[in-house]
Amino acid sequence: MADRILKKENLGKLVASVNGKGGRFIAPVLDARQVVFKDVARAEDIVSDYILARNSYKEYVFPQTEVVADFTVEKHGVDLKSREVEARETVVLGARPCEATSLSSLRAIFTWDYIDEFYTKREDTLVVITVACTKADEACFCTTVGLSPETKTGSDVYLLETESGDYIVETMTEKGKAFVERHKAAFTEGGAKAKALVMPEKIGTIDLNKVGARLKDKSHYDDQVWARLTRKCIGCGACTFVCPTCHCFDITDEGTAFAGERRKNWDACQYDTFTLHASGHNPRHYQYQRWRNRFMCKFNFYPEKFASKGCVGCGRCIRVCPVRLDITEVMEEFSR
Amino acid sequence: MEERLRKKAKELLESGEVKVVIGYGWNRQKTRTSPVFITDAAEVDRLVWNPLCVNNLSIYLTRKFKDIQALGRPAIVAKGCDIRNIVVLITEAQFKREDVYILGMACEGTVYRQELWKGELKPEIMPTKCHNCDVRNPHLADFVVGEKSSFTPPEAPAGMVFDKIKAIDAMGQAGKWAFWINEFSRCIKCYACRQVCSLCYCERCITEKNMPQWIETSAHPRGNLSWNLTRAMHLVGRCTFCGECERACPVNIPLNLVNQKMIQVVKDAFDFRSGYDEKTHPPMIVFSPDDKDDFIK
Ligand code: SF4
Ligand code: SF4
Ligand code: SF4
Ligand code: SF4
Ligand code: SF4
Repeated sequence: MADRILKKENLGKLVASVNGKGGRFIAPVLDARQVVFKDVARAEDIVSDYILARNSYKEYVFPQTEVVADFTVEKHGVDLKSREVEARETVVLGARPCEATSLSSLRAIFTWDYIDEFYTKREDTLVVITVACTKADEACFCTTVGLSPETKTGSDVYLLETESGDYIVETMTEKGKAFVERHKAAFTEGGAKAKALVMPEKIGTIDLNKVGARLKDKSHYDDQVWARLTRKCIGCGACTFVCPTCHCFDITDEGTAFAGERRKNWDACQYDTFTLHASGHNPRHYQYQRWRNRFMCKFNFYPEKFASKGCVGCGRCIRVCPVRLDITEVMEEFSR
Repeated sequence: MEERLRKKAKELLESGEVKVVIGYGWNRQKTRTSPVFITDAAEVDRLVWNPLCVNNLSIYLTRKFKDIQALGRPAIVAKGCDIRNIVVLITEAQFKREDVYILGMACEGTVYRQELWKGELKPEIMPTKCHNCDVRNPHLADFVVGEKSSFTPPEAPAGMVFDKIKAIDAMGQAGKWAFWINEFSRCIKCYACRQVCSLCYCERCITEKNMPQWIETSAHPRGNLSWNLTRAMHLVGRCTFCGECERACPVNIPLNLVNQKMIQVVKDAFDFRSGYDEKTHPPMIVFSPDDKDDFIK
């Protein structure tokens, strides 16, 4: 059977088709010397030689800042009007297999005790087109958390790069099938040889079961390990902002005393004010305790509550950290 | 040098003169350096010294790090440029000179970013600060590690940052505005620039004062501009051009241009450069009756 192919020269057709039908096309482009996910109008801007985009594409389902309501202060009280999410087909091309699995993690939290439509409506119209990895760096550790470049769950469409720079197309979900159908003029059929995928080496000294078990036992809480390995954290929050599964936000009002908007903005458990009480007490007094929370969230809270992963091993937090705090070194410590 | 450093660190810990040595160590793969805190003399071999030692560790001397302070008197591994930040901290009464033991490193330069390291320190991977450095031989230290550097900085400061500032100055008001609005538009309001700066030591930054909300926390153009201007203004006359903020910024905003421009303005107006003398107060925190400007009188 012939494969479905997305030819390099047809990428432009696909971009035009999505944008032309009122959709949004997101792909990795070069911006300020970094590869980042951004809106794309021309296929020429899309880069293919990268490991992972600097940012996670989560910002297209969970924007960094968005208005959720408008308010006016009237004589009779406050008028609050909720905003409606305008969701349209949003296509992300060039996600990696590890991060493709992160959407189910985000959905789990945003539909857990409350259905956050600002998230779900966007995710319902998001099409994730994964390109399997032909490159990796020392920060990649998908294979250590049970994923790999061959992981297809989470992707709506899974692409393998060919030697000539085209893509072999595999549709994984109904959404993916519908997408290919909707834009079928951009796809062709044929046969091609896929480039070899690159498997990051599994870190042998890490055992996720042991990490989980150790974290369940509350005695780890005051373990000296936290201070020893993570007191160098400066609490910049960059790791949480680039992480595809981090999801914390803050609600803030902006405007005048009489009218304004209520916004939902990204927040991070790494900030010292995150758990600061009005009384002045802070249960996470030291930075390493805030870091402990991030680790707990990924390797204890998530596995306990949800079927999806808290960490997908993309390594973004390691690459971005100004003090090179490596989460795998902590995983290693708790595997002993 | 590494051996000398370890030996001295060991001595200091064994004698009890210091309780912790703040320095650099390797990551697991030995490809990047990362801060380490040595409290046990048996562990001094974890200390390393090489051109990848980019971090300005003086951040760990600030009051934000109460857990490190609780360990006791620190010794800090510091390059000349890092010592400049320590000097500013002393002049701003964050601690006293004798509260910290400075292990000054004679330095031949570092890489601009660790990712650039290919095994050799070439001029093109060094930051502008290193090309103009007048503190390769630490100017304030309790103990200096390494051979004296014979480097003399150029008469007139030169390098990428200075060239870019000249280009921006030539853009005119509208051009400058457009340039910076575009650069700041990428800001994601993570505040990494603030967190990594040892001179941003306020326990409650103005961005966190929300009654009223002085600085909008949203990463929209208005919020980004107000944050970046505020950050710049709060560092006037204090910033040492160590470059940590630019290095930490995850979206590559050229903060070094802002920083160096402020340094030039302060130099022209007050003939002052921060971080050289721990006994001179920075211009923004002193009042002098001889001030040549009279608007304040
Ligand atoms: S914790 Fe780090 S490695 Fe894990 S998903 Fe988040 S950014 Fe990726
Ligand atoms: S990026 Fe590094 S320093 Fe910043 S909050 Fe995360 S772990 Fe801490
Ligand atoms: S500025 Fe000077 S002291 Fe600092 S790293 Fe460069 S050469 Fe070394
Ligand atoms: S260069 Fe940046 S990090 Fe360094 S002192 Fe100046 S503002 Fe702070
Ligand atoms: S580090 Fe960069 S992105 Fe983060 S707040 Fe500062 S300027 Fe903005």
